[in-house]
Amino acid sequence: MAESIRIGVYICHCGINIAGVIDVKQVVDHAKTLPNVVVSKDLVFTCSSVGQNTIIEDIKNEGINRVVVAACSPRMHEGTFRNAVEKAGLNPYLFEMANIREHSSWVHPDDPEGATEKAKTLVRMAVAKARLLEPIEKSTAEVTKKVLVIGGGIAGLQASLDAAERGLSVTLVEKLPVLGGKAALIGDLVYSEKKGWQIAKELIEKVVTHENIRVLTRTTVQNVSGAFGDYRVSFVTEPRYIKETCMHPEKGEEVCPVEVPNEYDFGLTQRKAFFKPFEGAYPPTYVIDMSACTKCGLCLDSCGKETIDLDAKPLEFSEEFGTIIVAAGYKPYVPTTGEYGFGNDTRIITLSQLERIMSENGPSFEDIGLSNPLENIIFISCVGSMEESDNTDARTYCSRMCCSSSIKNMLKLRELFPSSNIYFLYRDIRTYARREEHLYEQASKSGIIFLKYEASNPPEVSINGKPSVKVLDTLVGKRIQILADLVVLANGMMPPSDILKLRSLLKFPCSPDGWVAEAHPKLRPVELPSPGVYIAGSIQAPKDIIESIISASAATAKAVVPIIHGRVELEPLVSYVNEDICGACGICVSTCPYDAVSRVVLQDGRRVARVNPRLCMGCGQCASACPSAAMQQKSFTDEQIHEMIEQLVV
Amino acid sequence: MSAKVVDQTNYEPKIIMFACNWCAYAGLDLAGTSRLTYPANITVVRTMCSGRIDPSFVVKALTDGADGVLIGMCNYGDCHYINGNYKAMKRFLFLQKMLDDFGIERARVRIEGISASEALKAKRVITELVEELRRLGPLKIEEE
Repeated sequence: MAESIRIGVYICHCGINIAGVIDVKQVVDHAKTLPNVVVSKDLVFTCSSVGQNTIIEDIKNEGINRVVVAACSPRMHEGTFRNAVEKAGLNPYLFEMANIREHSSWVHPDDPEGATEKAKTLVRMAVAKARLLEPIEKSTAEVTKKVLVIGGGIAGLQASLDAAERGLSVTLVEKLPVLGGKAALIGDLVYSEKKGWQIAKELIEKVVTHENIRVLTRTTVQNVSGAFGDYRVSFVTEPRYIKETCMHPEKGEEVCPVEVPNEYDFGLTQRKAFFKPFEGAYPPTYVIDMSACTKCGLCLDSCGKETIDLDAKPLEFSEEFGTIIVAAGYKPYVPTTGEYGFGNDTRIITLSQLERIMSENGPSFEDIGLSNPLENIIFISCVGSMEESDNTDARTYCSRMCCSSSIKNMLKLRELFPSSNIYFLYRDIRTYARREEHLYEQASKSGIIFLKYEASNPPEVSINGKPSVKVLDTLVGKRIQILADLVVLANGMMPPSDILKLRSLLKFPCSPDGWVAEAHPKLRPVELPSPGVYIAGSIQAPKDIIESIISASAATAKAVVPIIHGRVELEPLVSYVNEDICGACGICVSTCPYDAVSRVVLQDGRRVARVNPRLCMGCGQCASACPSAAMQQKSFTDEQIHEMIEQLVV
Repeated sequence: MSAKVVDQTNYEPKIIMFACNWCAYAGLDLAGTSRLTYPANITVVRTMCSGRIDPSFVVKALTDGADGVLIGMCNYGDCHYINGNYKAMKRFLFLQKMLDDFGIERARVRIEGISASEALKAKRVITELVEELRRLGPLKIEEE
């Protein structure tokens, strides 16, 4: 025999927050008239210990087996009351909330009658749903004690180091042959005695010598299965094609006939297919770029057949991880050909390229064919950032680091070429970070000329022997033309190109601008909505080195928690199938964004859909897609929602 | 189906809003904490995701006495469950055609992306829908 439903209803005053508008007594009396309601009370502060104890006592003494609290938003106190209900020995999911504060008293202060009627409706709905609530058993799963870090830039390095220092086992994978990311390519930094490549080098040294960290370069994530606490990740490592026994790889590079643009110099220089990425790169080994290699065999002749294997096979393997930190970084915006004359003249370069020239491990001005001295140097800001466009995918955001980076380099160029004229054609100066405003001041005092342009009227660059830049300076209202020896386009940052692949593997959302959408921008800034997956560094949005390191440490602090706990709680409000009426049409299988539903064959040979509760995230998309109502979501069943709807008009 | 008796002179529309937990419901919560005001004609039923909102819920709401329905989802790209809002929109487009067949004005059922920070949008959309329904008058569904 089914147990008899005994519902307790508690209407909260929330001091005067609710009672100041809503006639609480009327709502209490209304609840008393509803079927199965055996207790209906008002409480001044239901969330207080007095309030919670009243509920606990009633469960024990009055035999209440369903609880309804009409108070604030369930997003505020649902957890509080579920705990109280559980404390009294009742299943915590036999609880329902009616939001009569945020959704009634606070928004209808001038309509007490309307607010009171609405509160009654909300209570009716909650009681109707409560009548159909079923207990839900909370389940937990064991957590694999290992962390995966995707990306070997400074954020990934810092995250790996932090997790390893906590005693956890870390696997760090980097798709490139070298570690250090973009920071390893930069020289001087703003207000740091250490250079970018030095910071990267220090971190790399700590990481590669750490006993808890395993570093894999040229390695990409191929597939992710399993669930929170036990993600099964498969990888593929591309070989270097050059064995460690090769004593003179530089000879191989010398004879290699293939030349391609060097991505580590952002295309400023050429490199061979057999190459070493850059001076000081770690690991300090040569590698063959198979996408460029023609397999001509010349390197085999000079290095020896036994040291080179052009047919080496990629290594595939998989491992389990408890949590995953995504630190895949960013890619610099590359202007389109002709955008501010880019590509039409070697004297027009991007800020990323200039950083390489200014860095100790990059090419020099002479290397790229620019002769001293440079007389007129022009920087143009916001190239590929702050776009004014109605297109949803427009880069409307500020890339944040370009103003400071531009000004930093202007000051360095001023030292290199003291008699030069340096111009900054800017839209806004956003030297926002701590100590950076000084830099702007210093630049102004050093005679750098700031010319403000409007987005609607950007500078025009033509080639007239030299690059010729025309700009309307809005502050003086005059059109100015300058013949330049060097034009630097301050290019912004873009989400990395593999974000789409990572997104489909790890199942996270992205904002329309392409950057990762975190679980909550303020409250959960380094977590993704998928449990056990975290973000570090500039994959989230444009960040400088300091911000990347901070977010990496924050992400790790979060990522180690489930591993230290050892067990994770699984989503309770999952979907389930009524196998008696399931027709195995498979619509739910294709609807589920988490691949949590699959078709199985029962003992009697019948095919039905089945939900893997470890993978189900509790959205209920499958339940509304099911044509036979066989698929239901716990606590959000069709029947429960129908009952609520019926309470609108009685 | 029970026939309703409506006082035409003092008509106030009744609206059910289905709101996803993470965006639209949170946006309405923010309207409350920001002390914005809107008419009390709307009552919210929460689902975890707008992708849970079955078009049959909307039809049931209309046949059971609601004069209008509002579906609140995340803006595109914001869905907590990757793409539930796209599914909600797709189903809504089908539903609109069904409403035409039923002879129910399309304006009675509205779908909006309301983020957790768009309290002002929540207020505007609700206020607009209430005004629209006051203009349209009560929904009359004839019994078969």
